[in-house]
Amino acid sequence: MLHLQPQNILIQKTLSEAFDALNKGTSLTLDRIISDFDYTTFHVSNSPEDKSILLLSIRTKAWQSVQKCQGSIGLLDYLQSKYQGCSGAAISPQPEMGYDLTLQITLSQLTGESLVQLSLLKTIVLSYPFQLAFDEFAQLSSTPVPVEGTPPVSNTLHTVQYRDEESLFIKPASDRITVIFETSFQDETDKIFGKVFLQEFVDARKRNRSIQSAPQVLFSHEPPLELQHQIQPRSDPSKRFVTFVLFPRHFQTQELQFNSVAQLILFRNYFHYHIKCSKAYMHSRMRFRVDSFIKVLNRAKVDEEDDSKGDSSVHAQPTRRTITGRKMVY
Amino acid sequence: MSYLNNPAVVMDNGTGLTKLGFAGNDSPSWIFPTAIANAASSNAKNTASSSSTGGAGLAASSTGGSSAASNPYFTNATSTTNFGNLTTASLMSNNLSGKRGTEDLDFYIGNEALTASQGANYSLNYPIRHGQVENWDHMERFWENSIFKYLRTEPEDHFFLLTEPPLNPPENREQVAEIFFESFNCAGLYIAVQAVLALAASWTSSKVVDRSLTGTVIDSGDGVTHVIPVAEGYVIGSALKNIPIAGRDITQFIQSLLRERGEVDTSLRTAERIKQEYCYVCPDIVKEFNKFDRDAEKFAQYVVENQDKTRQKVVDIGYERFLAPEIFFNPEIASSDFLTPLPTVLDQTIQACPIDVRKGLYNNIVLSGGSTMFKDFGRRLQRDLKSIVNNRIAETERLSGARSTGVDVQVISHRKQRNAVWFGGSLLAQTPEFKGYCHTKKDYEEYGPEIVRNFSLFNMV
Ligand SMILES: Nc1ncnc2c1ncn2[C@@H]1O[C@H](COP(=O)(O)OP(=O)(O)OP(=O)(O)O)[C@@H](O)[C@H]1O
Ligand SMILES: [Mg+2]
Repeated sequence: MLHLQPQNILIQKTLSEAFDALNKGTSLTLDRIISDFDYTTFHVSNSPEDKSILLLSIRTKAWQSVQKCQGSIGLLDYLQSKYQGCSGAAISPQPEMGYDLTLQITLSQLTGESLVQLSLLKTIVLSYPFQLAFDEFAQLSSTPVPVEGTPPVSNTLHTVQYRDEESLFIKPASDRITVIFETSFQDETDKIFGKVFLQEFVDARKRNRSIQSAPQVLFSHEPPLELQHQIQPRSDPSKRFVTFVLFPRHFQTQELQFNSVAQLILFRNYFHYHIKCSKAYMHSRMRFRVDSFIKVLNRAKVDEEDDSKGDSSVHAQPTRRTITGRKMVY
Repeated sequence: MSYLNNPAVVMDNGTGLTKLGFAGNDSPSWIFPTAIANAASSNAKNTASSSSTGGAGLAASSTGGSSAASNPYFTNATSTTNFGNLTTASLMSNNLSGKRGTEDLDFYIGNEALTASQGANYSLNYPIRHGQVENWDHMERFWENSIFKYLRTEPEDHFFLLTEPPLNPPENREQVAEIFFESFNCAGLYIAVQAVLALAASWTSSKVVDRSLTGTVIDSGDGVTHVIPVAEGYVIGSALKNIPIAGRDITQFIQSLLRERGEVDTSLRTAERIKQEYCYVCPDIVKEFNKFDRDAEKFAQYVVENQDKTRQKVVDIGYERFLAPEIFFNPEIASSDFLTPLPTVLDQTIQACPIDVRKGLYNNIVLSGGSTMFKDFGRRLQRDLKSIVNNRIAETERLSGARSTGVDVQVISHRKQRNAVWFGGSLLAQTPEFKGYCHTKKDYEEYGPEIVRNFSLFNMV
């Protein structure tokens, strides 16, 4: 299994290199591009005035749709609150050209803690709609339910367009939060692998008692009922929907919230990694098979020298071989 | 089509070290050994797996922030066989120990592989030998992990530039294409010859005036040294020569000298550090011996520290400072079966090329690879080659009586020399034209793997 970390380890590495260099009295000249899943690009560079100040910029496909999510707090305020306690980092008022957000990093004030926080930038941006959902859940669930009536419902549906063809939807309710992923595959083989995997996600929970506390997973061809009027008619008939149902036990504490969000955000990447691994595994098996066929073929080759010797000694009796090429023993 | 904005991925998988990064950067993002540690057979594993730290999930690794700043696996490697003194306990668990049917997912690559293989559960493999992929199963997994875990990219969204050694059989290219298009569905692929990329990298040197793809590349890495003549971007395969002396041999030579003297620490790791930090090329070995004997300052000491810096061992460094790289110029001091000095091989190579490109080959000799990093390596090479050429010219002049116009010999060292191949790739892959030269997934599906037998050469001007 792949151990994908929620933070971008390359940012972490680059920043800690710059930090170490500064402590040794030399400052690194940086102008690097770093990439992350789902059309995310970072740019790390020195600030033009002072080499010990770095600029970390992010551009991500999801930004536009995340920004549109409505809730109790705005995206920038949310990010501000996340980076307030992070020593050495500040959101710069004007993002770098071509990027969505720029952080200013004062290298000398960096700590291990803030380093991780900085390399979590993408996760934090994407966690915004989740946070809104958590907040709304808290509000909904604390409203008292009328005795003879339905619990309060919310019309909120946060949509995150994190890829061209695929979006993710977050729907808070008074007792749960539903997270729905659209999946679509470009490759025919992937479609099949994907189907098997997704079915396995659903079934694993039924079969394995030890993961009963994991969120429930549903897998469907049609958008889940409660969302059907909110999701525009499907453009691509091969699209599937994967639904995770989060119950309060999955987001009771800050820490649980973070873990759930981090894992959900990486869901698609885990999923695709493992599809690719299965293909690689099949390739290994195929190579193994081909090798063994070649061995068989090699054994079947007529061994000239051997035969002529056999001819003279064993009264010209023809050598007979089994189908695998071995000589018969009489 | 938003992948058009994504940076291309440049991967240079060498015998010893793999260089990974994004086009447009000035240095690779990751440098680690091309090594993979696979789970040993499952019954051996079950007995030992109880010791590993199970369940170290996302929570433990993400919130325990303070240690992350000094994650030891982050440092760029210069060594292909040694990595730190870490024990296997410092590895992040992949949560797989003891789960049946997932052996193919249970592996580590790079520095983590070196650490993991110290335990009994994993066996270490180097999938590339002499620049060519030997084990495709391992290589496929190595790529899998480098793309997802280290580069954090979805291969469907990126174009890839890979490198190959000179005279790589076309079947190998097809294998690469199958893996990249079928397993990874990468958006587009370009496979470039390492020597050509090294030439492109030399354009950053101020000595290079015209950006031509003609020149002789000396690529000396870990396992083998190639002397590769390239004319207008095409490798002259018939003249290419290999020298069986490279980084690993030099390290072993130093180790043998240390052993002979009975130093306190004669590990390969120490020998490698000494090689990289203290060795240089001298102009004249007899004079250098005398210098050392007159001036004790020349001798150096290398301090080996154990992990917690409590105990120290001191290793004296003597003549190996200049003797080790001298193997290139006088191979007889270390080996008995290969005796031709590098400058002679270089001259023979160029002489075997068509006469009309020889001038270009002599005056653009480009160094590339870790083992050309010794101080004054280029200068010595240039001097020795010049004297060979001048002698020959004098001889022909004497025999024919005609004056020659002379040949200009120039060896080019530059700052990007160590990862020249990767850097050249980064330069090429950042140009807007690059994607037009790649074969795309669609092309592959239309024509099949043999499509990668040909790539049009592209020259950025
Ligand atoms: N400063 C240095 N001085 C001398 N040798 C060095 C230095 N730095 C690295 N090396 C050696 O260079 C070698 C690695 O070089 P490189 O990364 O170019 O090889 P590679 O690409 O893995 O191999 P190849 O190109 O043969 O497939 C190692 O043997 C390493 O010890
Ligand atoms: Mg190389």
